[in-house]
Amino acid sequence: MATTQAVLAAEGLRYRYGETVALDGVDLRVDPGECVALLGPNGAGKSTLVAIAVGLLTPQHGTVRILGGDPRRAATRRQLGVAQQTLGFPNTLTVRELVTGAAVRGGLRAAAAGPILAELGLTELAPRRVSKLSGGQKQRVQLAMALVTEPTLLVLDEPTVGLDTAARRHFWQILARRRAQGAAVLVTTHLIEESAAVADRVVVLDRGRILADAPPQELVDRLPDRTVTARTGIASAELERLPGVLSVRREHDLTRIQTRSPEDLLRVLLARDPGLSELRVQDAGLEEAVVALTGDEEMVA
Amino acid sequence: MNGLLGRVFGVELRDELRAIVREPTSLFFGILMPVGLFVLFNLLYGHDITQGLSAGTAMVATFGTYGVITVAALQPGIGVAQDRDLGWLRMKRVSAVPIGVSLAAKATAALLYGVGVLVLMGVAAAAFGTLHASPWALLRVALVLLLGSVPFTLLSVAVGFRFRTGAATALLNAVLFPLAMLSGLWIPIQFLPSVVREIAKFLPTYHLAQLGLAQLGHGTSMIHVLALLVTTVAASGVAAMSYRHARI
Repeated sequence: MATTQAVLAAEGLRYRYGETVALDGVDLRVDPGECVALLGPNGAGKSTLVAIAVGLLTPQHGTVRILGGDPRRAATRRQLGVAQQTLGFPNTLTVRELVTGAAVRGGLRAAAAGPILAELGLTELAPRRVSKLSGGQKQRVQLAMALVTEPTLLVLDEPTVGLDTAARRHFWQILARRRAQGAAVLVTTHLIEESAAVADRVVVLDRGRILADAPPQELVDRLPDRTVTARTGIASAELERLPGVLSVRREHDLTRIQTRSPEDLLRVLLARDPGLSELRVQDAGLEEAVVALTGDEEMVA
Repeated sequence: MNGLLGRVFGVELRDELRAIVREPTSLFFGILMPVGLFVLFNLLYGHDITQGLSAGTAMVATFGTYGVITVAALQPGIGVAQDRDLGWLRMKRVSAVPIGVSLAAKATAALLYGVGVLVLMGVAAAAFGTLHASPWALLRVALVLLLGSVPFTLLSVAVGFRFRTGAATALLNAVLFPLAMLSGLWIPIQFLPSVVREIAKFLPTYHLAQLGLAQLGHGTSMIHVLALLVTTVAASGVAAMSYRHARI
């Protein structure tokens, strides 16, 4: 079926730490140029999945391939660019030295650091020690280290935490350029609305299983929930009794109704309240769609 | 492939050398303090003669041992602990840097700083006019001390794989000071109480210093070489075990 070689292909991954099941049969495919967002509450298995993908862990069952190669092999791992949120920096090295080091470790000449420092706006910070930088600047240094080797697969853990809106947009523009050249991106994030905007596919992981793997809009469309807002004289208690209604909230003089069957609700509203005004019907967001899947409000925090 | 590993080793070594020279505490405790103590004792007692050897010359072996051991025992272990704490070792593993290359770079950096410490001590002693030994003998002292520092680097790395940065630093320093004192690295062993001399026989630092002194024509070598070989074998075992159980 697939004619192009997958950048990342994982099949039937299982992993447990003692009694705790981290991954319970996970399949995941990332194609060239794709950006896949990995979502899920804490403890869903995201870290384990990423650790297996980058060759730090060996799956107890199943296989994982990066461009057909085993990520436990050094040659395969050289095609990866990884940025981890938890990485700290030695306070004895400068920005330039760190990015140069990453270039050389990836098999390139030290000079490769120059262009990437410029692209990420780090040229002026290059002679500074990383310990003196802000969180967002450190984040950019890590990204520069991950990008300098022109990797085929970028694995990024919460890459935009600590970045302001402008930096965030700049960051996704830089990634878009790499994706246009065929690089794939696997990003784990808590920022659901951000992944809705940038990801081709959203993979929702919960308790070691994949609950959904689809484009963000499709996940939203699958959720029948709509929010109907209107100025109406009908009592809340009455609205709550209608079929499909999930919740009714009054905000000032507006009524906000969550419903599974917006058509039924609209028929009733229009028929019973001739004075109805300011009617609005809205989609649920990706956030609601993910919460509906995992039943976990926590991850939206 | 080998070219790549060579270049990676180069970068790692460069980073490790900077880790000492740019970190004031490492620079002070690892380099300045041993050299400073050597200078101080040399000025005070350098011209004394014990058993036909000027004290200033003997100090090249004893304080030299202290200086070389200090960099060998502190820096690699603290470096490993720090790399683990920062997630740096994990990052290097993902970047396909063999752990052996990282460790070799740390050991080499410690050796190079050891060479630096010995050169500074030699120059200082010569300047004070207390250095009475042939260049060949001095070279042998340096080689013996540097080779003999290997088991200390191994033990240091073992500590680094086991403990976090703060604990590793405290532990290594806490072991180093009594070792230096009891092995006669600061005060010549013959001036120490007999109970200390008995304890010293079980300390690798004592044997290393004595092996250094033997190169200056003071005592025999064989027993010390044996003691250091046993230490090296034991230290390799401990380091390997510690690495295998380490969380990276």
